[in-house]
Amino acid sequence: MSASSATPPAGATPHRVRHRVQVAGRARLDFWFDAVILAGYTVAYSYGFTGVVIHEWLGIGLGIALLLHLTLHWDWVVRTTRRLLSPRGHDKLIWLVNLALLFAMTLCVASGIAISRVALPELGVSTLQTPFWFRLHVLTAEVTVGLVPVHVALRWRWIAGVGRRMLGWRPRGWSR
Amino acid sequence: MRFLRQFAAAVAVVAVVVLIGLAWNRFAPALPGEGPAGHASAVRGQMIRILPPGSKPPSGGRTVAGAKPPPGAFGVMRNNSGSGMPGLLLGDLLEPANLAVLWHSALLEAAVITAVVIVNASYRRLRRTRRARTGVTGAGRS
Repeated sequence: MSASSATPPAGATPHRVRHRVQVAGRARLDFWFDAVILAGYTVAYSYGFTGVVIHEWLGIGLGIALLLHLTLHWDWVVRTTRRLLSPRGHDKLIWLVNLALLFAMTLCVASGIAISRVALPELGVSTLQTPFWFRLHVLTAEVTVGLVPVHVALRWRWIAGVGRRMLGWRPRGWSR
Repeated sequence: MRFLRQFAAAVAVVAVVVLIGLAWNRFAPALPGEGPAGHASAVRGQMIRILPPGSKPPSGGRTVAGAKPPPGAFGVMRNNSGSGMPGLLLGDLLEPANLAVLWHSALLEAAVITAVVIVNASYRRLRRTRRARTGVTGAGRS
């Protein structure tokens, strides 16, 4: 979830930003892209729903989406990592959750690729297929399914704010 | 250019995590929390149960004849009347039994999100009240 796009742009007063109904293109992109990742992960986790073929291709897609998500929020990563040592640094909990999620999701996708039975063999790539990667995939998927909603929920104010503005809902007493 | 630089940095971070995974597999191929019962993994129409080396399958487990288990699994046990190795049958997705799996995942995530939001909102309210009592203003985010 984005922290950077929730930050008011330079020169804009908080009052103006709070009451602006127009949503910045970047915030809109973050909102929808993150929503697609959340939905994609929920579907991919439901192996009994998707079956192996959709599960594997969706997992590979999620790996690419994870890279793009990390790239889009790289500024936040750098800024928050620098602020970690500061006693008044914000977002320490979010940083830790995000780090754990990065490890869990990356290992989940990597182990999924290692044990791929359909997608990679179809591309002519032989896979590792060892019990370690199979068990790691199950474990990291379970950790990820716990951390993804926490990751989302810790940004609920940003999500609610952007969602409200995109739907055109204005708080009571709003005037232009 | 900036995007590419950030993308390269993200790829490098992900590569480091993958390397850690490879090193884990190479030097200590065991996972935390592995009990003697092994792990079960649900596959549509099947239940694959993985047991540590030397363990025996539980009684009552009906293995599917001719089905080749993945490495580390003792066998493929049919869990319901599924059609074995799943293919790309999009019509199957909407079957109630399969939809229930998706519903369960969505419910799980929604429950965790709700719990975290409630805890987070309560914590913020408590902090705001405390700040109002002590008269401290403008310290940190609201």
